[in-house]
Amino acid sequence: MKKQLLFIPLTTFLSFLFLFLAPLKAQAEVDLFGYYESQIMGAKVKSDFYQLFANKLRVDLKSDLSPNVSFGANFDFITYHGKKQWNILDFLSSEITSKIPDSVKPLYVIPFSDRSFLDNAYLRLSFKPFDLTLGKQQISLGTGYVWNPMDVFNIKDILDPTYEQPGHNAIRLDVPIGLASTVTALYSPGDEWKDSAKMLQFKSRISRFDLAVIGIERIWRFHDYTVSDSSQMSFQELPEKRQLLGASTAGQLLGLGVWAEFAYNWMEQTDDFYELAAGTDYTFDSQTYFLIEYYRNTLGKSDYRDYDVNDWMRNFTQEQKAVSRDQIYFLLQHPATDLMTVGMSTIYSISDHSLALVPTVMYSFSQNVDIYAYLNWNVGEEGKYFAKTMGNGGFVRVRIYF
Amino acid sequence: MKEKSKQSKISRVKLFSSIVIILSASSVLTASSSSGQDLTGEEIIQKVDDLLTTQTAHAKMKMTIETTSGQKRTFVYESWTKDEGEKNLIRYLEPSRVKDQAVLMLNNANDIWMFFPRTQRVRKLATHAKKQKMQGSDFSYEDMGSGGEFKEDFEAKRLEDEEKEGRDCYKVELNRKPDSDISYSRLLIWVIKENYYPIVIKYYDEKDPTYLQKTLTQSNIEVIDGIPTAKNMVMRNLNDQTQTVMEIIDIEYDVELDDSLFTERSLKR
Repeated sequence: MKKQLLFIPLTTFLSFLFLFLAPLKAQAEVDLFGYYESQIMGAKVKSDFYQLFANKLRVDLKSDLSPNVSFGANFDFITYHGKKQWNILDFLSSEITSKIPDSVKPLYVIPFSDRSFLDNAYLRLSFKPFDLTLGKQQISLGTGYVWNPMDVFNIKDILDPTYEQPGHNAIRLDVPIGLASTVTALYSPGDEWKDSAKMLQFKSRISRFDLAVIGIERIWRFHDYTVSDSSQMSFQELPEKRQLLGASTAGQLLGLGVWAEFAYNWMEQTDDFYELAAGTDYTFDSQTYFLIEYYRNTLGKSDYRDYDVNDWMRNFTQEQKAVSRDQIYFLLQHPATDLMTVGMSTIYSISDHSLALVPTVMYSFSQNVDIYAYLNWNVGEEGKYFAKTMGNGGFVRVRIYF
Repeated sequence: MKEKSKQSKISRVKLFSSIVIILSASSVLTASSSSGQDLTGEEIIQKVDDLLTTQTAHAKMKMTIETTSGQKRTFVYESWTKDEGEKNLIRYLEPSRVKDQAVLMLNNANDIWMFFPRTQRVRKLATHAKKQKMQGSDFSYEDMGSGGEFKEDFEAKRLEDEEKEGRDCYKVELNRKPDSDISYSRLLIWVIKENYYPIVIKYYDEKDPTYLQKTLTQSNIEVIDGIPTAKNMVMRNLNDQTQTVMEIIDIEYDVELDDSLFTERSLKR
């Protein structure tokens, strides 16, 4: 309880620091930067065409309060326009939706509500023997490009895997051992000690390979998406303890970049499962870049006829990283001009033989303005991971940095 | 031994092109042009290597990319180099789009890690990534991150002396050694007789030694901390019809740099 009390004031303290103390510092010592981005997403689902617009302003602050103390924070302000309520059932097969009780159907609507929030706010103490980071911070784990079995804090968007991830409230201690090794301990508080996430990671380097071993304990909150809770306002939550032991590596073999990441998960109530990601990449003389990543998740089903509403909803809500058991991601990129890169990413479900094609283009419009766009075609049969009935769509993002 | 050769292969080229570069050794500056009449290509390149022997350096650089359409992209970054260019750390300061992105290159850019501040993610890149253009410029990571000496990767042959950029120069042809895996099959290099500074370098295709890819021209040479330093470097890419201008905003040599600066931990700061 005491620990928890320590954290609530911590966030308050950091907010105070951001709002009052930092501006009082000499202005030149506070670095203010960020971006504004406008996103347009359209999707043709059955006979309807949906569109959603999002405007996001991200303001970052960074300051070195002393040689050993730094502070970073960012605020996000996001507004949505257009179709602000998406019914997940529109995307699922009739075989699935027909089994859902009418009483819970309204709960399948996902709203896009305007938001403004403090995404990150942390204080970092850096001394020769250690770095200590306190507050809301990004946590990035693993070597995978699209899938990170070791990362229980974030799930990437497979259509946009390099997009930034949200901050998590935590205390993080990094202790270097020599020049190539680091031990990291992380504590992310919940209501009580037993509900809090704990992580211990050891990273090192052997020859040309980076290696990491990790252990994590965290309360995992699956939901039963066929049963509403007593308030009838949300689905029933099924919290349970999740313990993960994982390892990752990244290096080079036969001239190819290679990486692999594995995590075994012991679940307190539901079945244990494991995840594996392995990939390779290469840059040709022509500057063409090629990447392949394989991902297995034993929470996913190997037969698409077994997919149920919980599989889909847990995937949409990022409780599990995939619906199907085995999938593979391909990425091909080439600089078409010195300011434009074109690419094609493909996600193929090995389990159900469905496919999503995602042609992309990135254009540097000016020094601080980027444009990123992609199309998304799903070409699988109804009921499969990338079914045609999921709809086809497109996405454009214009980002202006300041 | 093989590993050592491998590590050094990339270097020469970069070194020069490098911006980060670190020229040291001023002893050769006293060589007279008359004594140079009898020098072989190998001896000239040895003197160039000696001149460019890297100690440590800390620099602030400005890189301007001029695209085929005439648009410009300007980057400002800070770099730290140690152990004859074997260790490099680059951190971008401007523009905002890449602010705080950082690149760590060890073993003459055979090991590369990139840090992306927006995701707080460090990505290990394999050797093939050396070929990638740095921020779309005409300098590859290989060009930027390797130290080492020309003589380890190339066999030198002196050609007829020429005047270049208004300076009396030795002209030397460098052909890649069979066991070297450097990305250029051949170089032509013009070395100022007065101080053995390489003022122009032409880089030829990895497979076709007659196909000219890039030309590096170094100018505005000043002696800084006793070390001749080109404050302006222009890399012209004849394939893409683009060019990248590197300017030294500030540089200091022989600074004390702890090895801990060249680690993943430092990359994230």
